[in-house]
Amino acid sequence: MTLILAICVAVTFAVSIYLMTARELKSIAMGVFLLGHAANLSIIAMSRTPVRHEPQLLKGPPILNASFNPAQPMSQIVDPLPQALILTAIVIGFAVMAFLLSLLVITSRKTGTLSVEVLAREGVEE
Amino acid sequence: MTTSATVWLLLCVLAPAVLGCATLWLPRRAIAARTLVALLGPVASFGILLQHFGAYGVSPIEAPAATPVIDWIPVLHLNLSFLADGLGGFFGLLVSGIGALIVLYARGYFGRDEAALFRFYPTLGFFTTAMMGIVLADYMLLTVLFWELTSISSFLLIGWDRDDRHAVKLAMQAFFTTGLGGMFLMGGVLMCGYATGLGHGEGLWRWSEVLGAGAGRINVSDPLIIWSFVLMLFGAATKSAQWPFHYWLPGAMAAPTPVSAFLHSATMVKAGVFLTGRMFPVFAALDLWGQIIIPLGAFTMLLAALIALNQHDLKRIFAYTTVSQLGLLMCMYGLGSLDYHGHANIEWDITQIANHAFYKAPLFIIAGALGHFISRDITQLNGAFRKQPAMVITMLLAGYALAAGPGTISFQAKEFFLHAIHHAQESIGPWWMVLMAMAAITAVCNVAIFVRLLTTLMGWPGGMKREASHAHDDHAHGHAEHEHGPWAHLIWIPGLVLVSLQYVGGLAPGLWTQWIAPLETHAAAEGIPTALHAFMHPTLPLYVSLIAMAGGAVVGLGPLMRGAIVDVHDRIYPAMYWLSVTGGGRAFRVIQTGRFRNYIVFVLIAFLGAYLCAMILDPAMLDWPATESIFEFIPGVLLGVIICATAILMPIVQSRVVRVIILGSCGFSVVGMYLLYQAPDLALTQLMFEIISVILFVLVLRLLPDTKETDAASGRWWRFTIGSMTGLAIGWLTLVAAQSGAEPRLGEFFARHSSTGTEMTGGRGGGGNNIVNVVLVDFRGFDTLGEITVLSIAALGVFSLFRRRESLPTQDEFGDQLMRSVRA
Repeated sequence: MTLILAICVAVTFAVSIYLMTARELKSIAMGVFLLGHAANLSIIAMSRTPVRHEPQLLKGPPILNASFNPAQPMSQIVDPLPQALILTAIVIGFAVMAFLLSLLVITSRKTGTLSVEVLAREGVEE
Repeated sequence: MTTSATVWLLLCVLAPAVLGCATLWLPRRAIAARTLVALLGPVASFGILLQHFGAYGVSPIEAPAATPVIDWIPVLHLNLSFLADGLGGFFGLLVSGIGALIVLYARGYFGRDEAALFRFYPTLGFFTTAMMGIVLADYMLLTVLFWELTSISSFLLIGWDRDDRHAVKLAMQAFFTTGLGGMFLMGGVLMCGYATGLGHGEGLWRWSEVLGAGAGRINVSDPLIIWSFVLMLFGAATKSAQWPFHYWLPGAMAAPTPVSAFLHSATMVKAGVFLTGRMFPVFAALDLWGQIIIPLGAFTMLLAALIALNQHDLKRIFAYTTVSQLGLLMCMYGLGSLDYHGHANIEWDITQIANHAFYKAPLFIIAGALGHFISRDITQLNGAFRKQPAMVITMLLAGYALAAGPGTISFQAKEFFLHAIHHAQESIGPWWMVLMAMAAITAVCNVAIFVRLLTTLMGWPGGMKREASHAHDDHAHGHAEHEHGPWAHLIWIPGLVLVSLQYVGGLAPGLWTQWIAPLETHAAAEGIPTALHAFMHPTLPLYVSLIAMAGGAVVGLGPLMRGAIVDVHDRIYPAMYWLSVTGGGRAFRVIQTGRFRNYIVFVLIAFLGAYLCAMILDPAMLDWPATESIFEFIPGVLLGVIICATAILMPIVQSRVVRVIILGSCGFSVVGMYLLYQAPDLALTQLMFEIISVILFVLVLRLLPDTKETDAASGRWWRFTIGSMTGLAIGWLTLVAAQSGAEPRLGEFFARHSSTGTEMTGGRGGGGNNIVNVVLVDFRGFDTLGEITVLSIAALGVFSLFRRRESLPTQDEFGDQLMRSVRA
């Protein structure tokens, strides 16, 4: 399970870098979008696989119930901390995304182009 | 001593600044009252210090007794306590005494210029306070604090003429150079406190501890102590204008002459010498002490004396002789570390410091006065005696002391210095002859300068001939009509008062000994010998002095070295300035291309490099960590395939609709992945945001022109390479980190305390069963608050971007509201 996740992280990260180094703002925006997913997946992997080997079972979500054993807190549930971190990351990632897309629309309206090269040249001339 | 002693000395330090600022409340026209109030400050300091000595005596150097501590910032080792030992107390008297004379001189110098005096006295008081603080502070960091204050106040005084760009530049030069030294001093003090604290609990943060009880804790072979010494010495060398940092001092002559006479001859430039003297009793045990200070001081002494001889502006001449004398004083402390028949090779160091102050300040005072009435260019002063006899006589009296003529205390001081060099042969072998030659050449230069002053000012043959006048860097002092009456004479009388002390020492050494011996820290018992004594018992130093005098007369009257040269060291600061401002600007434009992709590539290459280093250092990172089969859990495999496939398709497809579909399916697969990982909260939140994001993308793509992305594919091979390399690195890191066996995990803490507390948290828990929620709103509540703030700022940003446009803002506000409902 961790291996699958690691592969996903590798692929999404690689693609997001590929997109972010493009010369066109739409691609960059998509790269940022994908980068958020890659990072979140990488963090969730830190909570370790929920799959338990002996009987092919899953650990429970991090919610306390009658079977919770304070001596071995992680025996029945997955690690809650990465989830808490990701929850914050999702919200902030969305805020960044919304702002970036708005900038994109404004830039396109004002300059008529989304090419980074053209924008950089015009910025210098100003 | 009681706490009242501390309070009194604090008053002694603060009096000049307080009374100087008090003059601001006086009406502008009340010049006499202004002068008297400003005068009261240094006089009060002088009186309090004398009273302190009367009550408690001079603190002996072997067992320094500081005044009781009044807590200020104990945690920083910065408290109020003062140490009035011989060195500090003498400097205190010197600063406040000369400060008082300078207040009077400034009245004569500025005349009835109300605006100038209004501004001058508070600044001067500020400086005097800073200087008193340096020399009396017991806490080392308090010294550093006042040290920086002198840099600031001297900046204000050098850049007095704010409209003169050149003067402001020179003020900045002085500020940066001495400020840099202040940084080094602070580093040295901190390092000393840290090093002495290792293994002993509290470190040494007070001079009285360093010199007294804690002296045994200073391990001279400890590298930290050695570095601490080097750093502190750097601070002292910049402040006391040692080569190659001496350039700032002649530059500081742009200040009005009262400032030059006070700061740049008598007091501030001696702060470095003072610091060296403070460190001397303990740090002189370091081998480096003599190895650095002796050559540095001697070279500075010789170089500056030679430059001084080749100058025309009186203030520049005296500035370079000041640098030269500072080199001599440093060299004196350097020689003091050498052993002479079991004693320290240093005699009457306070006298040597006092000597310089008592002739150099008068020289500056008269240079300013002559510049006021005639000119400061020596070639213009031929026969000045006939116009201003009183001033010229005062200057020649001081000049005679500069030449160390018999009958002045300067003569005995120079003898002591030459003796110290002579005695050094016990420790440094034939090198003493080199030092002696350097000292002799320096003396020749000083004598030659006096001979030139004498012949020129008196109008005798052999004096400097009149040349075409050229502008000097004095501050543009308005030459209004000259004043008459008693106040007008203040422009030279303070100089006469000071220089008369030279002759007290020279002609009545008994009286001098009586005054200065209680303050001396390194003095033989019998007192200052007379000049006559030296002639009755001639030794090598006397012969050297006589040779120097003869040589000086020849050089002074001779035709050589009469031009005015430019000191090459004046280029150092402008060069550094150019390098950091212009060079830095150019480097900035080269590095900061403004291209997003360049930045990304730089960051990634740095990351990959760091990753490579980590792998080389720890090859265990390359071991295959996974123990499981990839097909262990089929739902995971399916979701993983979808995520990877959509990601790979993303840069390939061009059609808008397909793109949105791909983005959506990628996001929803991630939601599924969260579900598999037993994260229902994440899945829920991501699902909400995924829906909004897709809508957002649809809207935005619709608003954007559907241009063909011609650029999108450019450079695809290197982009592909760097992308896949980073992807591999991050994926591998994920694998390694997720499989690492670090136990216990932080998450266990949250699981245990989510509902009920334990002893560890004082019985307090989060009181909730959903651990993730408790972590967010309870354990990391402030973090969540910050997150909400980010979201609102983003919403505000979007709103303001579209404020004057049509419909768009609603999307984000909608998202904002949705987020709140989700999180509630």
